[in-house]
Amino acid sequence: MLFDTTQLALERAIGGAAQRHTALANNLANVNTPGYQRVDVDFHGTLAAAMAGGDPRAAVERTTFSAERDATAISRADGNGVDADAEAAKLAANALEQQAAVSVAHTRIQILRSAMGVQ
Amino acid sequence: MGMFDALEVSASALTAERLRMDVTAENLANAQTTRGADGDPYRRKEVVLAERPGGTGTFGAALQGAMAARDGAPGGVQVAAIQQDQTPLKQIYDPSHPDADERGYVQMPNVDPVAEMVDLISAQRAYEANVTAMSAAKQMFAKTLELLR
Repeated sequence: MLFDTTQLALERAIGGAAQRHTALANNLANVNTPGYQRVDVDFHGTLAAAMAGGDPRAAVERTTFSAERDATAISRADGNGVDADAEAAKLAANALEQQAAVSVAHTRIQILRSAMGVQ
Repeated sequence: MGMFDALEVSASALTAERLRMDVTAENLANAQTTRGADGDPYRRKEVVLAERPGGTGTFGAALQGAMAARDGAPGGVQVAAIQQDQTPLKQIYDPSHPDADERGYVQMPNVDPVAEMVDLISAQRAYEANVTAMSAAKQMFAKTLELLR
């Protein structure tokens, strides 16, 4: 097989980070919506659980991520649980993480290309 | 999940926050209006925001929603209503005013310019935060395209 489990997991992580970005952007979009509870995508936890199983490759291939409501967030008087600063910080960190994963995936593809003698 | 979901979400917030700014500007502009559209003194307007369910708004989202359940997918924000503030109008004593009653009192709009300025700043900051989220999404898409090089 050309692509190993690490490469698969990297690609899943890139997708997961994009999905998490949508969730965090949704939190920022609803910063003034009364009663809104923040959502988040725990793609780290889902991927880690898949990697820890007996057949990581199949498990990673099957992995899907979903946005979960976070009811633990402290609410303001209007029932809104979004802290705009915290969301912006998470958004920036998540964007960097996605870019790091893309860089690693890209480098691994470049290594394969070199091994195949592609200029 | 579509590639540009994050942009749609942020764009919905830009629309909503811009409308909030418009309504705040209208309130400020009518802070002294004693004859509103219905003939009564102007009443302060307020925007009510609501979360937009996932799978609405765009053709692509509608198509995807029809093909598979998208429960819980983030969909952004929408304006649920523009409501009139029913708090009492202000009364000022000004017998020379054309709309003064027989005792010389005029009903003035229930607009507090200071509160409106605070709303304006809040809408502006929220707008900026969503622009930042949008440019971060753009950077992420651009970086992902680097995989092809």
